[in-house]
Amino acid sequence: MFQDDGSSSVTSSAIQVFPMASLSPGFGSPYPWLKELKSEERGLYLIHLLLTCANHVATGSLENANLALDQISHLASPEGDTMQRIASYFTEALADRILKTWPGIYKALHSTRISLASEEILVRKMFFEFFPFLKVAFVITNQAIVEAMEGEKMVHIVDLNAAEPTQWRALLQDLSARPEGPPHLRITGVHQQKEVLDHMAHILIEEAEKLDIPFQFNPVVSKLENLVIEKLRVKTGEALAISSVLQLHSILASDGELQKKSPLTPKILNGVHLQRVLQMNQSTLGELLEKDGVNGYSTSNDSASSSPLSSVVSAKMDGFLNALWGLSPKVMVVAEQDSNHNGLTLMERLSESLYFYAALFDCLESALSRTSLERLKVEKMLFGEEIKNIIACEGAERKERHEKLEQWFRRLDLAGFGNVPLSYYSMLQARRLLQGYSCDGYNVKEENGCVVICWQDRALFSVSAWKCKR
Amino acid sequence: MNMEAPSAATTFFGMREDDQNEIKQQQSSISTSSAAPPIAPQKKKRNLPGTPNPDAEVIALSPKTLMATNRFICEVCNKGFQREQNLQLHRRGHNLPWKLKQKTTKEVKRKVYLCPEPTCVHHDASRALGDLTGIKKHYSRKHGEKKYKCEKCSKKYAVQSDWKAHSKTCGTREYRCDCGTLFSRRDSFITHRAFCDALAQESAMHPSSLSTIGSHLFGSNHMNLGLSSQISQLHDQNHPSGNMLRLGSAGGVKYEHLIPPSHPSSFSQPMPSPAFLIPDSNQGYHQEQIHQQGLLSSKPFHGLMQLPDLQTSSSNTPPSAAASLFNLGFFSASNNGNGITNSENTAANSNSTNHSGFLIPDQFSMGDQVGTGLSSLYNTSMEQESPAPPHMSATALLQKAAQMGSTTSNTSASLLKGLGNTSTAGSKPNFGRSYSGSCGGESLRPELENENHLQGLMNSFANGDSSIFGRGTEQNNSFGGYSGSQNSTKFGNREEGKLQQNFSLSIGGTDRMTLDFLGVGGGIVRNMGGGFSQREQQQDGMSSLEPKINSAQARHVFADPKLQ
Repeated sequence: MFQDDGSSSVTSSAIQVFPMASLSPGFGSPYPWLKELKSEERGLYLIHLLLTCANHVATGSLENANLALDQISHLASPEGDTMQRIASYFTEALADRILKTWPGIYKALHSTRISLASEEILVRKMFFEFFPFLKVAFVITNQAIVEAMEGEKMVHIVDLNAAEPTQWRALLQDLSARPEGPPHLRITGVHQQKEVLDHMAHILIEEAEKLDIPFQFNPVVSKLENLVIEKLRVKTGEALAISSVLQLHSILASDGELQKKSPLTPKILNGVHLQRVLQMNQSTLGELLEKDGVNGYSTSNDSASSSPLSSVVSAKMDGFLNALWGLSPKVMVVAEQDSNHNGLTLMERLSESLYFYAALFDCLESALSRTSLERLKVEKMLFGEEIKNIIACEGAERKERHEKLEQWFRRLDLAGFGNVPLSYYSMLQARRLLQGYSCDGYNVKEENGCVVICWQDRALFSVSAWKCKR
Repeated sequence: MNMEAPSAATTFFGMREDDQNEIKQQQSSISTSSAAPPIAPQKKKRNLPGTPNPDAEVIALSPKTLMATNRFICEVCNKGFQREQNLQLHRRGHNLPWKLKQKTTKEVKRKVYLCPEPTCVHHDASRALGDLTGIKKHYSRKHGEKKYKCEKCSKKYAVQSDWKAHSKTCGTREYRCDCGTLFSRRDSFITHRAFCDALAQESAMHPSSLSTIGSHLFGSNHMNLGLSSQISQLHDQNHPSGNMLRLGSAGGVKYEHLIPPSHPSSFSQPMPSPAFLIPDSNQGYHQEQIHQQGLLSSKPFHGLMQLPDLQTSSSNTPPSAAASLFNLGFFSASNNGNGITNSENTAANSNSTNHSGFLIPDQFSMGDQVGTGLSSLYNTSMEQESPAPPHMSATALLQKAAQMGSTTSNTSASLLKGLGNTSTAGSKPNFGRSYSGSCGGESLRPELENENHLQGLMNSFANGDSSIFGRGTEQNNSFGGYSGSQNSTKFGNREEGKLQQNFSLSIGGTDRMTLDFLGVGGGIVRNMGGGFSQREQQQDGMSSLEPKINSAQARHVFADPKLQ
């Protein structure tokens, strides 16, 4: 019966259509039996469909991808069990990716989108609330800073993502309790939104006054990638600490794209675009044009594309880390997602992120009811958007380039930073914090002097401390 | 945190570890857990009213006694009472001798009451009702006169208390249909609406269409209301956000405010353990279908043939569609005893007519034989029942999928963690893992002999493999022997010994092994790699197959250290 299926003409091989075609016609839509699958079977089937679909997207057979997406739509649900939820966001991302091959349609569809900064902040708050990850990162960061700043009279802290005053309130209290007395403290917060920085300034100044610590807050309204290092106003004579919580990976964007472009890239500018539209592995025409126009990287494409090491080497990241290194911080604490979502191919990224987000969704499942609106928001507005970014975006747009700890280790090492093993006391505090979480799925592992925060035994986030090598 | 789901999760996580202990432990935990849950998660029916305790005393009262309001009459003033106790208390007022029944400490024998109406279901002792008031009300409601009439809506009731209850709410909640009818109960209103709407649709000229517009307007008003309430909700949400922003302001101790408030409520939410395996012929039918497609299409076999070398799977090319195709086939094939069982059921019932529908004889000459062979092959694996596992976490599902081979990843070690390990570890633990992996939490039962179970699995594999070999012959002469026999003999006719042999064959063939069970994931990976000539691989598979052909028993193959 599937032989006759019309869609087989789309691809060279009828077999390729097989799984979809065999299910789609003839049984009466909409696949009544799919509804009868039980949770586990459905989950497994969803995984299978997702991968099948991603394959089709990767190879550009959109008809088949469409069939797969249709099938998934009958099984997935953002309000269902974990796998149903995950599948919803991954399919959305895959569909987004397909859509991006038609930049006009894509832009038109998104032209009226309202992005509410307040909502985003709210969702990040929820992430902070519902998960222990940021808290653990904060505790460890603060402990590392306190240890590194022992005896320092002038302390300057640069927060590359100054969204959460809680961390620094805690540090203020730590410092005020120092036996040698509190230092003169300056915190420089980098954030895109002025309001967030204002809010932070307000809280921290108040707290510092209460604790009677000489304190100054220096807001820098900027995207991290556009950060002008001079604005950090690091002065000689002060001890510098840098805190980066889930920020560094975004610097990998844009020039990480270099390796992704095939040698064909320059030709695209000459109007060879029709075939490219179906080449889903590549970035979309619009992006390519945009990027090539903006930064003249296109000439260096070919040299970069061949090197397997190129994923580690990233010009922009090198520049940024060099700049930070130039500030010679006494300590720099880096927290990152511990999963490789920066793979070259869509399939790599998909399967890795599937695992990563499955674990995060499982965390939520264990903590919040399925009907929780907050849970839905975190899943949709935070994880869903990240997934979309990982799956659907390429080039400079793809910001969520999470990489594993060993990758960061190598990269930071190359940039002239030496690892500072986290102290026993940091670990202890992290563990204690997790114990207080009344959920035994979380744990921390020590890895080469760094901390990896896990759900069950899936590593999710890493925290590491660094200093300038001399 | 609830205890069931995490424990299930940990068992799956357990698989990642290399040591055997872990595996054993995990196996045992699976088997214990699988023994526990009930097999029949039937839709729970409401208990029929009146299915009394069999040893209760059955009492049949006459309609008159049932309807008598005041059975206990005072001999002095003729006042009637509903209860004897009340009469006794009343007698006290007349200075008559009175006696209150004391509560007896010994257990009173339960009484059940029959409905005097012979046509009533509760007339039968097996459906007698449990209390006197109940039977009285029942008799009045169902078989009595409706004496009490609501003044407002004229609805009549037989039991006074029903009428009272109605009177309290009558008119307070009104449902007025567009046609003008008034309802006091929402359900009757809705029932009416269904009819009324249908009528309205039939006659487009109906004047009520105007009023429907009105109701639409009314409806949209409602929407507005909804919106504004949403807005207020938003405000509400902003409010807590403010709280969150201020979070920690109370903290006097160092990290106190970093330590999260425990969410007692959120953790107490029980994980639903959904009914998992209800053998359903329909479902089975489809699974069967997929299964067959997977097995019978020719391309997937290339995938299978490529499986053997797990080690060479590092190439990065995106997977071919064939891989995923194969995937599907295997997915359903190894989808555990459940799928197989179901499919077998249907297969047996439908006498293999189903199969023929899905075979493509033109494309694949073996189709017929395999198709008919399937059911007989599966017979051996039929006995197993599949108890329902608890709800699986997404992580566990992914791991399971990876083990079953429906997950693909070319470079990521984590995806293949299970598989990666297996390629280096000894074949025995490998087997243990693959076994538990592919049979999963579903079908492992302690009382099932491993071998027995295995056989079921094996058979399906043997089936798959043999068709590979069959396919192989078509292309490659070196397959000669088996494939010849494969093609000429029907599976169904094959006697046990041959089956065994066949089976060990396929195991041998897969060699690095495990391969077939776990290796599927690897196979896909390879497919992604895609760089190899299939011919070479087949040759490869063959040569590694040779030495093991002699071992007729699957066990031996597994125990054979050479297999590593």
